[in-house]
Amino acid sequence: MRRGSVVQLVLFALVAGGAATALALVPGWLPTPAGREAGRIDFVFWFVTVICVAIFAVVAAVIAYSIWKFRAPPDDESDGPPIHGHTGLEITWTAIPTALVVAIAIVSAIVLAKNGDAGSNPLHVDVTAQQFAWSFSYPGHANLTSGDLRLPLGRKVELKLRSLDVIHSFWVPEFGQKQDTVPGLTTKLVITPDRVGTYPVICTELCGLGHAVMRTSAIVMPAAAFEAWVNKQGKALAGPAGQAGKTVFVNNGCNSCHTLKAAGATAKIGPDLDKLPAEAKGAGKPLEAFVRESIVNPNAYVAPGFPKNVMPQTFSQLPKSQLDALVQYVVSSSRSGR
Amino acid sequence: MTIVTHEHVDEHAAPPAPTGWRRLTAPGWLRVPWMIAVFFGIGAGITVLVRWLEGWHPIWKGSIITTVELTTVPLGFLAGIGTFDYWVRYATGAPTAPEDHSGHGARSWRDYFRVNTDHKVIGVQYLVTTIFFFLAAGMLAMFVRAELAKPGMQFFDNQTYNGLFSVHASLMIFLFVIPAFAGLANFVVPLMLGAPDMAFPRLNALSYWLLPMAGFMMLGSFLVPGGAFATGWTSYAPLAVHQPLGQVFFNMGVQWAGASSIMTALNFLVTIITMRAPGMTFWRMPLLVWANFTTSLLVVIATPFIAGSQFFVMFDRVMHTHFFDPGHGGYPLAYQHIFWFYSHPAVYIMMLPGFGIASEVISVMSRKPIFGYRLMALSLLAILVLGFSVWAHHMFVSGMAPWLRVPMMATTLLIAVPTGIKVFSWLATMWEGRINFSTPMLFAVGFVSMFVIGGLSGIYLGAVPIDIHVSDTAFVVAHIHYVLFGGSLFTIFAGIYYWFPKMTGRMYNERLGKLHFWLTFVGFNLTFFPMHLIGVQGMPRRVADYAPRFADWNLFISIASFGLGASTVVFLYNMIWSWRFGPPAGGNPWRALTLEWQVTSPPPIFNFDEIPQVVGSPYEYGVPGARHAVLNGDRAEVGELEEVRRT
Repeated sequence: MRRGSVVQLVLFALVAGGAATALALVPGWLPTPAGREAGRIDFVFWFVTVICVAIFAVVAAVIAYSIWKFRAPPDDESDGPPIHGHTGLEITWTAIPTALVVAIAIVSAIVLAKNGDAGSNPLHVDVTAQQFAWSFSYPGHANLTSGDLRLPLGRKVELKLRSLDVIHSFWVPEFGQKQDTVPGLTTKLVITPDRVGTYPVICTELCGLGHAVMRTSAIVMPAAAFEAWVNKQGKALAGPAGQAGKTVFVNNGCNSCHTLKAAGATAKIGPDLDKLPAEAKGAGKPLEAFVRESIVNPNAYVAPGFPKNVMPQTFSQLPKSQLDALVQYVVSSSRSGR
Repeated sequence: MTIVTHEHVDEHAAPPAPTGWRRLTAPGWLRVPWMIAVFFGIGAGITVLVRWLEGWHPIWKGSIITTVELTTVPLGFLAGIGTFDYWVRYATGAPTAPEDHSGHGARSWRDYFRVNTDHKVIGVQYLVTTIFFFLAAGMLAMFVRAELAKPGMQFFDNQTYNGLFSVHASLMIFLFVIPAFAGLANFVVPLMLGAPDMAFPRLNALSYWLLPMAGFMMLGSFLVPGGAFATGWTSYAPLAVHQPLGQVFFNMGVQWAGASSIMTALNFLVTIITMRAPGMTFWRMPLLVWANFTTSLLVVIATPFIAGSQFFVMFDRVMHTHFFDPGHGGYPLAYQHIFWFYSHPAVYIMMLPGFGIASEVISVMSRKPIFGYRLMALSLLAILVLGFSVWAHHMFVSGMAPWLRVPMMATTLLIAVPTGIKVFSWLATMWEGRINFSTPMLFAVGFVSMFVIGGLSGIYLGAVPIDIHVSDTAFVVAHIHYVLFGGSLFTIFAGIYYWFPKMTGRMYNERLGKLHFWLTFVGFNLTFFPMHLIGVQGMPRRVADYAPRFADWNLFISIASFGLGASTVVFLYNMIWSWRFGPPAGGNPWRALTLEWQVTSPPPIFNFDEIPQVVGSPYEYGVPGARHAVLNGDRAEVGELEEVRRT
């Protein structure tokens, strides 16, 4: 009778465990963290990985060993030993996994609580998601808005996320944190940036045909540089119409769908804004009225070759001064771009 | 105790085939086209009438009529093909046709294209149909990988791409994995129980014929204006409410597939509870029967929830009910709660029958009793109960009530315990066995190893902080494919190879079977394992375009996936060739103890000439003189039996 040898089995397990460990260590699995929360998530990740490598090693070793040792010769029609069970073993493989998953749950719950703690004096940022653009505004800085998320180094940030249309999800891989934006709800997310750099902001909840391009950047800056940027933006919005209009244009993500030479925008999801005068003629309206209507109520006239309901209908909510600046800017830029 | 015999079956002559115009009114394919036309007229007529009475313009509105027709046209098809004939006659008081068994059992290949009440014919109908949709859905996956081979847009626009992966997933889930298991169980469970058929054979036929409706509806959505539904198989509101018309084809396709599921599950429950052979106590049922018992409970409890969620989305769209519109008091997260209250248990609906198949195959091929039989059955029940308490782990980043996260994490992680018990028990069953690594066993062992990886990645996803980082990334894509491909599909393949000789009476080609396994196993791992890595690194899912730094891995994955797709050709060739030309298999090629192997291959039309008497466990390999059941003439040989509890 062929019996299993525990020594051989342990050797198999060491080999399988070694292979799995190599697989865990060699490729760079996690992005280099740029936030304290990501560092804690990484800890949970490696804690779970150690446990999983051990379990995988045991299972893989038993399977490989069985294939090697217990394969029946082709003409062998005998049966194996009639073992129906073993209470001790069954208790063991119920109890040990239970203990392991409870440990994982406790570690996870602690990290979750820490990662959700905004502290007493966070920087507040309002995040607005819409198909297919991000917009960030800083209530502590005169509601300055931006199409990039700019954050100062080392300060806790509390994001308040809203959506104007469907569900989106805010994710920066280097921050590790992710949160859906839900129409009708305000959701929250805490980030503590701890590394200067530019990182991708990715929408991870399928939100329609532009989902794959609903991207922007998160820029972590030294605190002084952040203050300087805030001041500069504030001046631009209060400045001459053209400058303010361009700021509104970029901050609201118009450039992520449209082409407009003056703004350096080259996206092709929506109509080319440099050709607006011709479009206005096609629609039979004066240019300025046409531009305003197309921003506030995009379905009133849809350019030939483009589907309805793609352009967000939410820009009607822009403050009047910003809307006026935007219309002026788009009208004058498209005239000069002809 | 009553013993039903059906030796008289051959005495019945089938009724004379209808002639002349009666051919158009007899159930069958000739009645289908005009019945569809009639039901189309009913649907369009009601819609137009209502719109005219209410003064809504235009009175003839294509998108609304299409929505209504997705209910009425399938009914026309079902009425035409003849699934309702008996009930309609009975309900209207018309004389019912005497049961002549002409619609029971297959005498030629044509009988597989008719309404048939034989569970074995229905099982084969299910399997062939689901494999067709498996191929269609697999082809869509190939298109997805072709688009993803390079960053940027190559072959499809965004909406079409979103449609490709949405229809891929929906077909694989609703038209392949769930019904393929139902098909295997349809063939095997009554035989294993020692029953002549399912409890409700006509209902069984109806549940089969609902399936092609759902499948062609989902595939057909590519043809409607605006393209196929493009919101993923999860179809989250409010996005789904404002999508082009194709979305309705998902909403309604799910209804038909779901109705099929529920009817089959009810049928299994009644069959398993009431039609076990004498002596077949619950603790003597094969684990495949246990698995389908728990699965059926999951189906009947959970499936109405997804049906409701899809109706709500459709009502929001056509009736402006605002279930999920926050501007009118709706609540978008309600959709996710209702959807996942079905769709998490659905994961077990797609896995527990596979556990059953693995238990059968591993025990028989290792020539050993299943290790810890009772704990194996009880862990199925534990998964059933826990499975209803974990749905919100799909919503850790959704913005739901934050306090739900930790409790749902705890239950989620605890499900690893009964699942672990099953894995360790399979390993212990193999230990010191006399293992025959035939194709079904290769797929069963392949399943155990792949499912362990899928289970371990599930631990990562269960731990909330990690889930927050990796949810909606390629890591999740890798995880579900390790569970549903490495798990469910591998066990479906194991089951098909294992019962192929029973279904067809012929043996498949072992060499091709092994080739198929190794191509699938290697291709699968090369395709899906790297997705863990790029997901953790930052590649989201459901995108046609991605950051250039993931280009190399995506090209690698696409090439591997094409190899994986090609491996299916080996499977198909083997099945088709062996069905026609394979060597006769004999009644019991695997020397198994369960009842389906104690009859001829394929089994007689009513399975058993005489209902068997069950006398022991189905897994007593290596126990001298042990028997699972006594059949036919053997009764005298065993002498008077004590255990005749059930009649």
